[in-house]
Amino acid sequence: MKRFISAALIVLFLLCIPSLLPSSKIFPYDYQIEVLENGLKIVSIPLDNPNIISHYVIVRSGSRNEIEPGKSGFAHFFEHMMFKGTKNMPREEYDDFLTKLGAGTNGYTTDDYTCYFVVFAGKENLEEVIKTEADRFINLYYDEEMLKTEAPVIEGEYYASVSNPGRRLFETLRDTAFEKHSYKHTTLGYLRDILDMPNQFEYSQLYKKRFYAPDNIILLIAGDFDHDQLMEYVRKYYSGWEKSNYTLVTPEEPPQTRAKRAHYDWPSKTLPRLAIGFHGPAYSDEKIDKAALDLLAETSFSRSSPLFQKLVIEEQKCVSLSASFADRRDPYLLVFSATLRDEKDLAYVEDEIFKELERLKKERVSEELLADIKSNLKYSFASSLGTTDGIAGSLAYYINLTTDPGTVNRLFDLFDKVTPEDIQQMCKKYFIRTNSTVVTLSGGKSE
Amino acid sequence: MKKYIKQTLSIFLVAGLALMMSACAGVSPDKLSSELLPVEGSPLVTFRILLDVGSVNDPLGKEGLCQLTLSMMANGGSKSLTYKEIQKTFYPMAAYVGLSVDKEMSVFTGTIHIDNLEKYYAIFKEMLLNPGFREDDFTRIKTNQLNFLERTLVSNMDEQFGKEILNLMMYEGHPYGHNEAGTAESLQKLTLDDINAFYKEHFLQGNITIGLAGGYPSDFPGKVRDDFAALPEGHTPQLRLPEQRVPSGLEFVITDKGTPATAISMGFPVAISKADDDYFALWMAVAHFGEHRQKLSLLFQKIREERGQNYGDYAYADHFIQGRDKFPAQNYCRQQQYFSIWIRPLTNTNRHFVIRQALRELKKLVEEGISEERVELTRTYLLNYTRLYAQTLGERLGWQMDSRYYGYKSFLDEVQKRLPRITHQDVNRAIKKYLNYENVYIAVITQDAESLKQALVNNAPSPITYANPNMPEHILEEDKAIEVFPLDVKAERVRTAPATDFFQKAGVPEK
Repeated sequence: MKRFISAALIVLFLLCIPSLLPSSKIFPYDYQIEVLENGLKIVSIPLDNPNIISHYVIVRSGSRNEIEPGKSGFAHFFEHMMFKGTKNMPREEYDDFLTKLGAGTNGYTTDDYTCYFVVFAGKENLEEVIKTEADRFINLYYDEEMLKTEAPVIEGEYYASVSNPGRRLFETLRDTAFEKHSYKHTTLGYLRDILDMPNQFEYSQLYKKRFYAPDNIILLIAGDFDHDQLMEYVRKYYSGWEKSNYTLVTPEEPPQTRAKRAHYDWPSKTLPRLAIGFHGPAYSDEKIDKAALDLLAETSFSRSSPLFQKLVIEEQKCVSLSASFADRRDPYLLVFSATLRDEKDLAYVEDEIFKELERLKKERVSEELLADIKSNLKYSFASSLGTTDGIAGSLAYYINLTTDPGTVNRLFDLFDKVTPEDIQQMCKKYFIRTNSTVVTLSGGKSE
Repeated sequence: MKKYIKQTLSIFLVAGLALMMSACAGVSPDKLSSELLPVEGSPLVTFRILLDVGSVNDPLGKEGLCQLTLSMMANGGSKSLTYKEIQKTFYPMAAYVGLSVDKEMSVFTGTIHIDNLEKYYAIFKEMLLNPGFREDDFTRIKTNQLNFLERTLVSNMDEQFGKEILNLMMYEGHPYGHNEAGTAESLQKLTLDDINAFYKEHFLQGNITIGLAGGYPSDFPGKVRDDFAALPEGHTPQLRLPEQRVPSGLEFVITDKGTPATAISMGFPVAISKADDDYFALWMAVAHFGEHRQKLSLLFQKIREERGQNYGDYAYADHFIQGRDKFPAQNYCRQQQYFSIWIRPLTNTNRHFVIRQALRELKKLVEEGISEERVELTRTYLLNYTRLYAQTLGERLGWQMDSRYYGYKSFLDEVQKRLPRITHQDVNRAIKKYLNYENVYIAVITQDAESLKQALVNNAPSPITYANPNMPEHILEEDKAIEVFPLDVKAERVRTAPATDFFQKAGVPEK
């Protein structure tokens, strides 16, 4: 049934992805910010799209907040408990409400924040969504039995996760690289703490009181709605919520003074892996350090970089090679990782990565390459803004870091200012052997 | 004794296709097709180059050839540019060429900002119309494909591994019966000559639908069509598939692997697809029973929410691949379909209990049907949720293409029209007609396969253990029924095999 269909021109809605002229803002949408007396911040992005709304609740609490011994993984566990309903609307009713709404809904936990989203069609449903979500956040209710029943779900999730050697490699890297900061553990936490979760009912109540409070939460709504109408609903349903006034002090990570190394023996045949981490700076849209390092990651480890081409395409020693300099509220790791074909090349690839970093201390990257990288970052970010959910999801990540959506445009302005000299300086500052942690993973026979 | 499903599905499809062809009289099946979705003012252009060729077209003994050939095009150089040069040019545009290969169709995808359309398309076109098929690309891509089978799928992805074993069981001796990546044995034998031959045989005009969406210039589709018209005319005849084998009772393959958690997938073929009227009623039933990653799923409620056994439990009325977020991906259409249940990893000690529980729930579904209240809830849910299915350009174009395959102008519009008319009786009738609980393929990945086999064959009681000492009474009562729920498992229908034996050769490994 092959044929040409001469489709009539269909004029359909499409969110306005930015023109990428140098003068235009990377995040082009108008937004409004309001703060209630209890500290709840609302970021509202009305869009001219037909009838789809993305409702995000950003709780600025993640595994970073798990500073007490034995509590790793608790932010993620609590995310699960947030779906247990309230006395006004028990879990079954809450589930039915979302089901009837036909909403795309879930939650996720990261190092720095936990996010809950409801994406739905029909602006006539906005008030009910605000009302229901406000009830859930203010009046969450579960008893000890419900907590004990949920806890093994985390165990199952942990097992599913660690059947992936990449996750295990990363878990080992963080545990080895950090001494004191809560970034030492992953969001899932240590298995020993997961197994103890059924006994943590009282702590879960304390956790809620500290972190699930309006002064630690941002409401982000994007899509087809009227801002004033939204604020009327928000005031109506959220005003009675009390502040927490809790201040979290995360332990300061002492400077690393010696190179560290660890190995993980994978129980079955798998591709060998390598990760090299260096302690780096926290996210900033003002200081040049992190922005320059982000560009460096692309310069030297993207698919078009000389090292990638050598190790992956030409010599074919690696299946993948990448750099990940994640944005975090506190100083975090700059990670280079590789998946290899053969265990015997682990030392060679490690050496090549260190050699590349040494080269970058001596040789500046070209202006032309830097321009290519800046262009890539802009087009990559712009392409993520094609749906209301894309806009809200992308923005949630940045809002968590600073509470201000304006940080996106400031960050891309900062990228524009980064020079080859900046990159060279940051290489010298951060990529020092004594600041490094190397982790390898292998298992089964190599070929 | 083996039972077989009557293949009415392919007859419907052929009839549907003939009808559509008659609406486009004069168009040869040997020439290009197009699906266009112009969106005025959009700064993006999305490509979906759909190929009516998939792993069923792998020659016997050359399993994996289709995927390897198409990967050489998407991830290798063209005649004029090396892969390195392509990546260097793509990089500032944040451009890529994506590929997915399924049993009967494959699709090349790409989305580009309008600023870069001309530059991107010039390379994209060369990759597909004049592929380089270089030796170094071949070595790299073949090794990656082999590593995926031997080291990634088997070692690191138990959930996907379970689904692939279910596929091997369901389609033994059938053209669907091998992984798209092939087998270790077949891949090692493949040569560049095989790649060239496969491309020449199948990359023909009649196999290709040019999909374009977004804010492209009005003359752009004509330009693309002219370029692709340089390909030879012709098409690969749609393969006449053998009948799907229905399992004889409960057929198990238990894969032995040192793992702390058990992964389970189960299912059986169904003679229905989105093209059939009955599909909508069956879809509602299966959404109620196990909607993907949603709390509507009864299995999710019973296994995870009430008992905290694992992360989730779902069921599917037809082949399902997750796309953006939790929505279904497009361009995975098939002539033949299957019903399946996906139990996410759970602690080994409760594996027997949960197998019993899933089958008991399936039995209840088949015997008792679903309540009117649940039909209404599921209807409301699907009518709203499907409004979120097609948000990006790629999704809208993909659904448009899939709608053509199944004979609709718009499948998603059809959902809005048809679901309100489905009655409670229609849903329960579809359950009786298409689902069963006695003849099911069950793939299990677990530690100490032999002990599970013995427990299953002996119908040994399988009490469940909980972290919560105060489980609600009604759950404990139901558990008493589940833990002794009889399963008719015959020893000769339980095969066990070590994980590392899979994907070496075609089919389920012989012990």
